[in-house]
Amino acid sequence: MIIEDVPCPFCGCLCDDITLTIKNNRIVGVENCCVLGNAKYLSKQRLKHPIMRKEGKWVEVSFDEAIEETARILSGATRPLLYGWSGTYNEAQVTAVHLAEELGALIDSTTSVCHNPSILAIQEVGHPGCTLGQVKNRADLVIYWGCNPIEAHPRHLSRYTTYADGYFFENTVSDRKVVVVDVRESETAKIADEFIQVKPGGDYLILSALRAMVRGRGDVVPATVAGVKKEQLQRVVDLCQKARYGAVFFGLGVSMTRGKYKNIRNAIELVSELNRKTKFTISAMRGHYNVYGFNEVLTWMAGYPFAVDFSRGIAFYNPGETTVIDVLARKEPDACLVVASDPGAHFPKTCIEHMAAIPTIQIDPCVNPTTALCQVQIPVAITGIEVAGTAYRMDGVPIRMKKVVETEFPTDKQILDRICERVRELNGNG
Amino acid sequence: MTYTLNSGRVIPQGAFVEHKISQGYREATSVLFIHPMDLFQLGIESGDKVRVTSAAGSVVLRTEETETLREGCVFIALGPYANAITGGYSHGTGMPDYKAIPVEIEPTDDPVMTVWDLMEEIGGLRYDN
Repeated sequence: MIIEDVPCPFCGCLCDDITLTIKNNRIVGVENCCVLGNAKYLSKQRLKHPIMRKEGKWVEVSFDEAIEETARILSGATRPLLYGWSGTYNEAQVTAVHLAEELGALIDSTTSVCHNPSILAIQEVGHPGCTLGQVKNRADLVIYWGCNPIEAHPRHLSRYTTYADGYFFENTVSDRKVVVVDVRESETAKIADEFIQVKPGGDYLILSALRAMVRGRGDVVPATVAGVKKEQLQRVVDLCQKARYGAVFFGLGVSMTRGKYKNIRNAIELVSELNRKTKFTISAMRGHYNVYGFNEVLTWMAGYPFAVDFSRGIAFYNPGETTVIDVLARKEPDACLVVASDPGAHFPKTCIEHMAAIPTIQIDPCVNPTTALCQVQIPVAITGIEVAGTAYRMDGVPIRMKKVVETEFPTDKQILDRICERVRELNGNG
Repeated sequence: MTYTLNSGRVIPQGAFVEHKISQGYREATSVLFIHPMDLFQLGIESGDKVRVTSAAGSVVLRTEETETLREGCVFIALGPYANAITGGYSHGTGMPDYKAIPVEIEPTDDPVMTVWDLMEEIGGLRYDN
């Protein structure tokens, strides 16, 4: 059986033109996909049954026992932390927010350790953004700043920018210019018309210099800024001002370095300056395929996009205090539920040390480093392959994920619904 | 000498995301990319092992030379090896310093740990079944 136009459940590009060949309820062929999505579709490794630690050893348990233990741990905790959510669908995320409210828990997503600073900057100065369709058809200048889409979002260039056919272009490859700003000559930098190799931590300086030059105050810019010659910066300013439509995409190279959200704010304000001369937009290169979706769901339900603390009985949001890294560094949580992410592989050591010291539960199809930190792991169906649901692309466009094979594994939503129901019973709210 | 460490996504790390306990993931995420002149200064060759130490901890990695970096800058794929030397302080923003980490580098004969070893070192329990 051939299934066409399947959205890929890997990165924020959510490429929805994948063709899958299904034989005997297995994916045996993948077309149009990048190497990352391809590996996910053809992966055979998964946890086959719930597991629990008993007397220092892993043992297989039933779903009923794993859910009961999870509900008991969470309802008995005074400072539960619910974390993850970017690798599951919106309908499951809705249940997660209900569970957080019921528990008086702190709920945060992988946003906290990727584009959290981007959201803080957008909350300060707004977001001159657009959908990727606009970029594909109109942008004659694309700037990749602190990101490496060829390795992190491999089809971004072929679907939306450099190599994508655009409605208003005769030849997109020659008609679109590409500027890359990075600390290293990444694979993306190698195809750039202009590559700015900035010294680590120098993004804010470069952005400020460009803003001054766009404003016509190049005289205040020194001969070299963060290792970059003024002449090169002037060439980039000229490219920007000559462009009919410029699209800036930025990644974690800007949001994770010192300066954090102030770097992004400066980038947004550069885009604002350029909009006085021509048309410019700026967009974040979101990582997980549905990291944007969790920001949407939590904003609809609690008013804030991530790091919401329900311990006061209301939704309280104070990044730096209610963000997952900070609460773990302060060793506050006394129980943790991880769903659809892998902090064991992606959090600083000091933070996961605390996760290993408290009862931690993981809901995830695969064995991963977080498994080692857990007391319980519950395997589930894989969204976008075994279960349908809504996900949000990196530009905020919702896309319906498809179910392409049958499974006996329960969905994230089914497991979370059962945990939520049992927690309500234990709390006397049943 | 102090080097500046950056981490980021690379294709081999991304392709092994669903197989983080595999040899392939370990090899993809425990490589330290370094400029040939820096290797020369350290007196070692590409492929030799180094101990990388930051204020948050230390980890053993295998080196691989590249001229895509400036001298004094080193790079590693994101993952448990990078995070073994990443601190949890976020400057009140929620975001720790995953980039531009000051590190010391010295040659070593110590082994590169497995992902399970790293998790057990901080109190975890491997699942090998």
